[in-house]
Amino acid sequence: MFASAQALAYLAAAMLFILSLRGLSAQETARRGNLFGIIGMGLAITVTCYALMYGRDLSTFGEASGILGGAIAVGGIVGALVAARVAMTSMPELVAILHSFVGAAAVLVGVASYLEPDAKTEGAHEAEIFIGVFIGAVTFTGSVIAFFKLRGTIGSKPLLLPARHALNAVMVGAAIVLGVLFLGQPDPVGLPWLLGMIGIASLLGIHLVMAIGGGDMPVVVSLLNSYSGWAASAAGFMLGNDLLIITGALVGSSGAILSTIMCRAMNRSIWNVVFGGFGVTPTSSSSKGAQPAGKVHETNAGDVAQLLLASKRVVIVPGYGMAVAQAQHPVRDLTDALQKRGIDVKFGIHPVAGRLPGHMNVLLAEANVSYDIVKEMDEINPEFERTDVVLIIGANDVVNPSALTDEHSPIYGMPVLEAWKAAHVIMLKRGMSAGYAGVDNAICYNDNTLMLFGDAKQSITKLLAAVQLEAKAA
Amino acid sequence: MASSDDVVHGQGVRVAVALALKVGIPKEISPQEKRVAATPDTVKKIQKLGVEVLVEAGAGEGAHFQDGAYAETGARVVQAEELWAEADLVLKVRAPTIREDGKHEADLLKEGGRLISFIWPASNKPLVESLAARKATVLAMDCVPRITRAQKMDALSATANAVGYRAVIEAAAAFPRFLPGQVTAAGRVKPAQVLVVGAGVAGLAAVAAAKSLGAVVRAFDTRPAVREQVESLGAQFLKFEFTESGEGEGGYAKQMSEAYIAAEQALIAENAKDVDIIITTAVIPGVAAPKLITSGAVVSMKHGSVIVDIAAEQGGNCALTERDKAVEKFGVLIVGYTDLASRMAAQTSELFATTIFNLLEDVWDAKQGDVVLDLDDEVHRGAVVLNKGELLWPPPTRVRPRSHAPQPEPVVPKPVPAPTPSRMGPVFILAVASLLGVAGLFAPTDFAEHLTVFLLACVVGWHLIWNVTPALHTPLMSVTNAISGIILVGGVLLLRTGGHGPVTILAGVAVLVAMVNVSGGFLVTQRMLKMFRRGEGKAAR
Repeated sequence: MFASAQALAYLAAAMLFILSLRGLSAQETARRGNLFGIIGMGLAITVTCYALMYGRDLSTFGEASGILGGAIAVGGIVGALVAARVAMTSMPELVAILHSFVGAAAVLVGVASYLEPDAKTEGAHEAEIFIGVFIGAVTFTGSVIAFFKLRGTIGSKPLLLPARHALNAVMVGAAIVLGVLFLGQPDPVGLPWLLGMIGIASLLGIHLVMAIGGGDMPVVVSLLNSYSGWAASAAGFMLGNDLLIITGALVGSSGAILSTIMCRAMNRSIWNVVFGGFGVTPTSSSSKGAQPAGKVHETNAGDVAQLLLASKRVVIVPGYGMAVAQAQHPVRDLTDALQKRGIDVKFGIHPVAGRLPGHMNVLLAEANVSYDIVKEMDEINPEFERTDVVLIIGANDVVNPSALTDEHSPIYGMPVLEAWKAAHVIMLKRGMSAGYAGVDNAICYNDNTLMLFGDAKQSITKLLAAVQLEAKAA
Repeated sequence: MASSDDVVHGQGVRVAVALALKVGIPKEISPQEKRVAATPDTVKKIQKLGVEVLVEAGAGEGAHFQDGAYAETGARVVQAEELWAEADLVLKVRAPTIREDGKHEADLLKEGGRLISFIWPASNKPLVESLAARKATVLAMDCVPRITRAQKMDALSATANAVGYRAVIEAAAAFPRFLPGQVTAAGRVKPAQVLVVGAGVAGLAAVAAAKSLGAVVRAFDTRPAVREQVESLGAQFLKFEFTESGEGEGGYAKQMSEAYIAAEQALIAENAKDVDIIITTAVIPGVAAPKLITSGAVVSMKHGSVIVDIAAEQGGNCALTERDKAVEKFGVLIVGYTDLASRMAAQTSELFATTIFNLLEDVWDAKQGDVVLDLDDEVHRGAVVLNKGELLWPPPTRVRPRSHAPQPEPVVPKPVPAPTPSRMGPVFILAVASLLGVAGLFAPTDFAEHLTVFLLACVVGWHLIWNVTPALHTPLMSVTNAISGIILVGGVLLLRTGGHGPVTILAGVAVLVAMVNVSGGFLVTQRMLKMFRRGEGKAAR
């Protein structure tokens, strides 16, 4: 009787998760979507806990329920605190570290399931455990490395060991050998093989993510998102729980699609991102290609302010530099100041700007920029020709004309924001260093490009002051 | 000597004048036609070619050019009979036609005369024959090829531009509401919704005119390439998914299959429900206009809506259009005027006169003082219909999209493919099949059940995510991340054994870690989503 009620509750929870993802597809329904997710999760947890207690003698079971309650309370509070405190600019790190938690949980659940005395001992069950733990471990260490890379604790340059593909293959091979040995053992005896595999999978996760450059982080983060889903799904298989299977599969396929979308935006395949070791070869290949002549035109905030006030249409292209400098609030103030003077201001967002899919949108939203004026690449590209001034704030590779013109450029073929078509381009940059792809940007040397060097936040603040001064004088 | 010199000189002048060609500008005889083929300005230019210009009395009246203005340029203002009898070269707007007195203009043309005007040779066979009988040299304004060099001679585009504009003006005049949206003390005025069908020159002009009047404009065309042009004018381009490109020859749309037209009708019917004004411009040269607006679509429109059917001359794009009339059907005014260009006669005459002069200048040979055709020249070859009576139309290089060959190739419409990446398809199916095979051999039955659930969920997830807007990718990721904290349930289930063992501890830690994920993920998503806002929200409320 209760078992079927539980199954129905799980079904309801799964439906709520589907609605949740559906809601997240549009701005208008997104918050409702999140609410559905919360309700679904609450339902699933409550019903599972209740099922656990149902018909049990609490005197023998008190300890387990104490652990359960404590774990939920502590975990919930810690999560809530982190979520409330985190700055929007650190969102990529937060998402990455949360993925690692799912990975860790999958490993723990897998091992616990193996050790559980009354577990089934069939080969299929053990294989499920093995696969689930493998995915979990790769997700865990991969996400931790991604977290440190995004924080900047580890340099964002890809670490490319010699024969790294062979190394990966050896690690996967070793994991498979251990798996065969593991399956051959009676139940608790196989534990060392399992733990050995966890070690190898952890190394594999570290190595895979270490080899990926900072510019590819959006793809990696969404891939890890996908893995965390598959790990949950694998846990569902080992425990024979459909809710886990369904939810894990939803998350897994959603992450896979996001990765695909990101890869398309960079005109690269997922294999190229994961195994390509992109970002090192350019030094040699860009010298082969047309090397831009090294003369740039420098400018100052006052001149830019005059230019902005004299224009009708302005497009702002933000990139990771805006996030690093936390310049989104001054940018919004500048936008308001220009709009007040009847200047049409829009934002052009490249799909892989920043370190997380949709990263720029989140930052601009945090700064209260209306999402109506925040345009996607396909919407904004036809407008550049009619634009008077493009303000590029800490973006680099996503506005590089070489992507369309220079066949030797490593980013050749990637769709980019065609900012150079505007009458004037103002590029805010800390210095002349290359972007994450390690490619020199030809747009800097164009005659209609003016460079405004300095920290993005300071530059924008100066620019805002100059705009207000100019406007008053006029 | 002096006097004899004078005489010789005088005779020379007279001989030169007598030898110089006479160019005639007749008055258009169609009652629908108010345009004229030359304005006083272009008459001056024509005279500079070294010819004498005769203008029929009243020729410019409909376009507001007085006979006196022509006379001031030095042109001779004459009656029709004199003009046709004397003119060696006639410049006209419409193709020659039958006069009230029963005589055909073509028969009045001098033997061996030259004529430049609209001809429409595909649908005017008898006209071409009678002109051939006159040994005439005929250039058709409608046959000037649409290439860059010939743009200044492109009378069709110049006219279409004015027609598209006028269509919007006619619609606006008949529409019982504002076009722009306003907020007034007496209430809010919604902007009119305008649909423009066909984004050729006329369609784009209509889009621009409607947009500048403040309407909200959407446009539709079978050629996906014009999307950018439509969007550059600030209108929405209606997406039409059907695998058959409408890009025909010469920059025109081509005739499409029946299934295709049915699909177009459906798209328009769907949009008709909420638009106020429809301007249709879908014309394919030499073919009856496709009936894109069904009577059902008209019925579904709001009362007081207006349709202006620019294609009325070719039978109309709307099933209920009546030629040259504005009729009200089911509460919708359907305007089928074919004289939209003449309603702007002063402007369209200027434009037409300029294009026809540019063509004349292009074919003019100053040394011979006559029209001399270079048949290797793409423009000359395209425009010429008859050369001294010899039929040269249609030009050889052009495949004819004309009425006697209206059979389009049968095109099998294909269903629109689902927006999943095609490369992944076969690989995915193969992987699934092999997985299922292995599972079927070794796995217990409950595994197969779980696998079914798993695969179905994958499919659902796959389809759910494709239409997420890029702006929401980060919130989506953090919500899926929170949801993947569902692994917590796994930890809870493992606590069922109770006791102190490692299982309980591992499971407890798993629950703790997963719970951080759940609460952190959902709360941070909530925080992010709260920030997304829309600018107009403040102003409108």
